[in-house]
Amino acid sequence: MEYKDETTSISGSWNLGQWHWKHETAVLMQHFLASLKDKKVLGLKCPECGLVYCPPKPYCSCLSIPEEWVEISDEGVVTTFTFSGSWSYGGMEEGAGTPRIIVGVMLDGSNTEMLSQLEDADRDHVDVGMRVKVKWADEPQGTIEDVMHSLPA
Amino acid sequence: MRDVAVVGVGLSKHVSKRRDVNIPELVWEGVSAAYEDAGITPRDLDGIITGNMPAFEGVNLPELWGAGHWGAYNKPVLRITTGGTTGGSVGHGAFYAVASGLMDTVIAIAFEKQSDGDSTAGLNTVAVADMAPFLSYGIDPAFMLAFGGGAVGVAVYQASSYMKRSGCTPHHLDKVSVLCRTNAAKNPAAHLKQPGLTPEEVARTALMQYPLRFGHVCPASDGACAMILTTAEKAKKLTDKPAFIRSVASCSEEGALVGIAAAGTANTDPCAQEGCKVAAANAYRKAGIKEPRQEIDLAEPYAPFAHQLLMFYERLLLCDEGEAPSILDSGSMELDGALPVCPSGGVISTNAIGASALERIAEAALQIMGKAGEHQVEKDVHKAVAHGWGGAVNLNVVAVLADTPTPRG
Repeated sequence: MEYKDETTSISGSWNLGQWHWKHETAVLMQHFLASLKDKKVLGLKCPECGLVYCPPKPYCSCLSIPEEWVEISDEGVVTTFTFSGSWSYGGMEEGAGTPRIIVGVMLDGSNTEMLSQLEDADRDHVDVGMRVKVKWADEPQGTIEDVMHSLPA
Repeated sequence: MRDVAVVGVGLSKHVSKRRDVNIPELVWEGVSAAYEDAGITPRDLDGIITGNMPAFEGVNLPELWGAGHWGAYNKPVLRITTGGTTGGSVGHGAFYAVASGLMDTVIAIAFEKQSDGDSTAGLNTVAVADMAPFLSYGIDPAFMLAFGGGAVGVAVYQASSYMKRSGCTPHHLDKVSVLCRTNAAKNPAAHLKQPGLTPEEVARTALMQYPLRFGHVCPASDGACAMILTTAEKAKKLTDKPAFIRSVASCSEEGALVGIAAAGTANTDPCAQEGCKVAAANAYRKAGIKEPRQEIDLAEPYAPFAHQLLMFYERLLLCDEGEAPSILDSGSMELDGALPVCPSGGVISTNAIGASALERIAEAALQIMGKAGEHQVEKDVHKAVAHGWGGAVNLNVVAVLADTPTPRG
């Protein structure tokens, strides 16, 4: 049978704020993070195919084990980008609506990309292929956030 | 391996809020239509394969009430859930059951009733898979949100990269929305129907996150899809014109997000979608298709975001990379074109997420069976490809359908 109107709704909610967990940083990542304090960006190189992973990964897409640490540049090239419009995506509570430019960056010497917030740049001039560099804090804290802000190079 | 035939397809109405029915009733609309289309009853079934997005309706294990509402008493019920590809994986599961000889007649059921729950909260439970690499990097998940969390956050980087590499312009994105939404206007099951929509109107919608405007993005839908699959022998007794699922193939990569969350492969360009190419090549090979560009008559790529229709058209090996925008311009993708794309209106018009990838297979089957109605394409459809994209944005699923079984020997 069909019912033309809205049927009775019973609403409720789950309080997921009470659900706690901890997750440990990977050992390789800990080494990478520690070097950031010295403003050094490290990559991990695969002995088989030569790809350099930054941040490091314990296995390569060729199924070998990368094991050689190499220092890579804090400058790189934009691989993709976005910026928010007047409306911002749900979940971005802090600073919602503030225009920000986020770029994908492949640092020189690395074969992988990282996301980074591009500062001091005009969004109409951002493009794939643009050169950027890491914007270091005066005293990096040894967290991934140390390398997640960039400036036009 | 046995041949697998589609003998029944059923779709519910799709709208943003079905407050007139509950989840089982909504699903029953699709399920009962499939039974009616096939001319069978639940007594003829050997098993039920089902899926939806985990936790999207605020509850999990919804298959547990399936017995009462799908005719599943005393039958095996198997739930498959793989994110955006869920419906496709459900279709694959049903195919495996029949092709393997373990079951003769099965129903594949996929659905989503997004208005009952909180899709963003549900998506966050899926995103835990992507959060694992974040956490192992020592990153607070709150930090991830600042880089554009959720599905649109994934899509915008992919779109920017694809547009740069293919020459796809914002105008092409507008035209994709027009193609899909005007097709949807002819499909009674579709959600966002916009007859007479123009690219200029799409271009005037607000920018969501560069380069995507609201007009380039799917709606959130309530809806269900069901398909009945059986053996070639049983199909003969039920219908003169079944559609055969010739092959299925899927490929799981590491997450194809940009950067940190997916820094595990060198293949981090989110528009590369190597997994789609691998799955498509495998599916065509298993289906006995040597020249997909010449042999495929119709494509239903999974494209909740406008650029994805063009990107996945290329990754489904239907043209060279970077060629899809000019093929769109040529009119070839229209209902009367040489290789119609998303005649159903596609995911950009209708997205009951768990159902969406099954609906791609369902549309391919309807077109082959000649049952699509007003959105039936002009040409005869002998072979069609249906696609899904999802997982933790790392999974591609492909099915090849035809009006004849796979040639063997």
